[in-house]
Amino acid sequence: MAVDLGKMADLLIAGKVEDVSNMTQEAIDEGLKPQEILDKGLIAGMDVVGQRFKACEMFIPEVLRSAKAMSAGMDKLRPLLSESEAKAAGTFVIGTVKGDLHDIGKNLVGMMFEGAGFKVVNLGIDLDTQVFVDAVKEHKPDLLGMSALLTTTMPRMGEVINALKEAGIRDQVKVMVGGAPVTEEFAKEIGADIYGANAASSVDKGREAIGK
Amino acid sequence: MTFRTNYTVNRTPRFSLLSEDQKARIFRGVIKTLNDTGANVHHEKVRELLANNRCKVDGKRVRIPPEVVRDALASLPPTTTIYSWDGQEEMCYVEPGRSYFGPGPTPPNFIDTETLERRPYQRKDATIVARVCDALPNIGYVQSLGSIDDVTHALSDVYEFADMIQNTRKVIMNWAFSEENVRDEHRIGIVMAGGEEAFKRYPNFIHYSEPISPLTSDFDAIGKCYYCAQHRIPQVYTPCSIGGATVPATHAGQIITAMSESMVGVVVSQLLNPGTCILIGGVQSILDMRRTIYSYGAPELSIMSAAFTEMLNYVGLPMYSTAGCTDTKKMELQSGIEAAFSIHMAMMSGANFVHDNGYTESGITGDVFQTVMDDEIIGMSRLICGGVEVNEETLAVDEICNVGPGGHYLYEDHTMKWFRKHWQPTLMDRNSYEDWDAQGRLTMKDRIIKKTRDIIENHEGPISKVPNEAKKDIEKILDEAEERVRSKSK
Ligand code: B12
Repeated sequence: MAVDLGKMADLLIAGKVEDVSNMTQEAIDEGLKPQEILDKGLIAGMDVVGQRFKACEMFIPEVLRSAKAMSAGMDKLRPLLSESEAKAAGTFVIGTVKGDLHDIGKNLVGMMFEGAGFKVVNLGIDLDTQVFVDAVKEHKPDLLGMSALLTTTMPRMGEVINALKEAGIRDQVKVMVGGAPVTEEFAKEIGADIYGANAASSVDKGREAIGK
Repeated sequence: MTFRTNYTVNRTPRFSLLSEDQKARIFRGVIKTLNDTGANVHHEKVRELLANNRCKVDGKRVRIPPEVVRDALASLPPTTTIYSWDGQEEMCYVEPGRSYFGPGPTPPNFIDTETLERRPYQRKDATIVARVCDALPNIGYVQSLGSIDDVTHALSDVYEFADMIQNTRKVIMNWAFSEENVRDEHRIGIVMAGGEEAFKRYPNFIHYSEPISPLTSDFDAIGKCYYCAQHRIPQVYTPCSIGGATVPATHAGQIITAMSESMVGVVVSQLLNPGTCILIGGVQSILDMRRTIYSYGAPELSIMSAAFTEMLNYVGLPMYSTAGCTDTKKMELQSGIEAAFSIHMAMMSGANFVHDNGYTESGITGDVFQTVMDDEIIGMSRLICGGVEVNEETLAVDEICNVGPGGHYLYEDHTMKWFRKHWQPTLMDRNSYEDWDAQGRLTMKDRIIKKTRDIIENHEGPISKVPNEAKKDIEKILDEAEERVRSKSK
């Protein structure tokens, strides 16, 4: 019996991580095209999740569970997608800057990007400038996200941007910054490309900036 | 019934949320969490202390057995007195049944008292907050409502304390980035007290620091806790737990997690210096699952804080609670509703120190106008929590019979004696329509602004009484701190 991608989307909406992962595997085993599984199963589901979130029918934890299901399916699909298809989904590296231990806002942003199909590398908290630079070199992300929740650690984000310039890789990546005391103005000042006020809106802004 | 003549019945209204059984179950949850899973402690010296005192240390993880928790609780002081900086006046007693309300620490922004615009917190604001709080009768202790942006950032904590302690005689609750900076603040406290011995006898500040939910004590936080315990500085060791995000979404689960992570500080403090004062509690609220905002106006904040207070009463710890704060951006009806609700809940729960009076925008902006409004609400709430005094004199049966039907009480000695106990508003409007009209139709907001600006203009605080020597010594401490920061950045 053919795998029902509509059902897969429903399971994703319901946040059934394991079921979505298994069903993705079944679909692959049955020989469905990876791009089709992605479009008609995973992305179709996430589109509904996005609509329901905006309509106040779903809440963040539910969205995140669906995002996790999406990412579990993506893990199965990624190796099978052609290079250009995989690249189309995008890679997002995120971390909290040196001296700053605030964790949860940054994690939320990362999880939302996962839900949008991005490959997400969460570097953690209290990170040296060099860790960001190395991660950009290693993962070649489309987007680099930095989080700072303290006025004292906000300048570290500017330092990372300068270090990317020095390493000659600033142009390879769009830089996105956020965190409670961070403002649009500050983001401009330090030469970041995008300011994200919260997890939900930053995904849209990030996608727009990289044209995906 | 003559045997009652000397007997006053004056019950303080207190509410109770938890049954004995519920309290016992929550406490067992704390004990089991600490024993089975424990907490991560990112500080070798502290782990060593714990390992040497019957705790199980495995890498960064420390598991604390029930008997160690029990011994720590047993060695807590039943009461601690904290003094005005000159040691002359007993300002706060950390003991059951005493509630002190104050502002909160460190938001990045402040509502400018002249322009009413939101902008980064500046050094001058620390002095304003200290002086305004000094003048407010229902504010019992002081925090800054901001972190100073226009000084060397790494020392904004030290500058803040240096300025504030000279501008109020009320107890200051300070904070610090690191153990080094607490040391600077400690030195300032010593200077103000008039020497090390005087400070030991008359401690004049409380230190505030934060473990991380879930179940983590980072290097700086536990380092500061260690320093304060060593030097017998009264302290608060409390997380900002985010229900549904960094702790369980259920209130009981949240209290267990928050209490467990703070218990690490309680144990460390009592091992180092039995009888040293420590409060726990903190900000207990939820993540708004639509907007990803940590809510400072949620009713959950109040119910969890009240339940936490009850739990701490149960185990003999003082509670550092939260109230008088709001999620609004500008002063409006919502600020008043959220503040009134949370203040009255905190008062009824019997929490010891209640912070964040003056927090707006979910903790992102400090607003001393909100603190001034809160002061009025605290006054109203305190009256209610004073209960109804019932004794021979207040029953007033003689007066009732003397005046009899159809008379009035305005001439009575009894009235002369007692009417002044009625609460008098300083902000609430009780004018007639005509008077209100004649006085310029002021709204609550207008009156708050007027009162605040009056205080700023006219209440000088104790600054002129600070000895010149002390001022110089404090300047020296600040200079040395600057030098330290400079040499580090080289
Ligand atoms: C929880 C909390 C903590 C916890 C963090 C626990 C954890 N596991 O993360 C602990 C206890 C560790 C903590 C510690 C401290 N904190 Co704190 N903390 C908070 C608090 C109350 C909530 C933060 C939070 O998690 N919010 C919920 C999440 C979901 O929201 P968020 O982090 O803002 O993230 C959202 C957006 O900002 C955005 N976003 C975030 N990052 C990124 C990144 C990108 C790329 C993008 C696009 C978007 C984005 O999207 C997120 C989701 O929507 C804030 C107050 C506040 N209202 O923000 C203070 C606050 C940030 N802390 C503050 C302070 C002062 C401290 C301490 C110095 C306190 C002390 N005295 O020790 C220490 C510093 C420790 C350190 N070195 O980092 C101040 C900062 C003031 C300032 N001038 O900068 C604040 C504002 C509180 C206050 N009013 O005083 N804190």
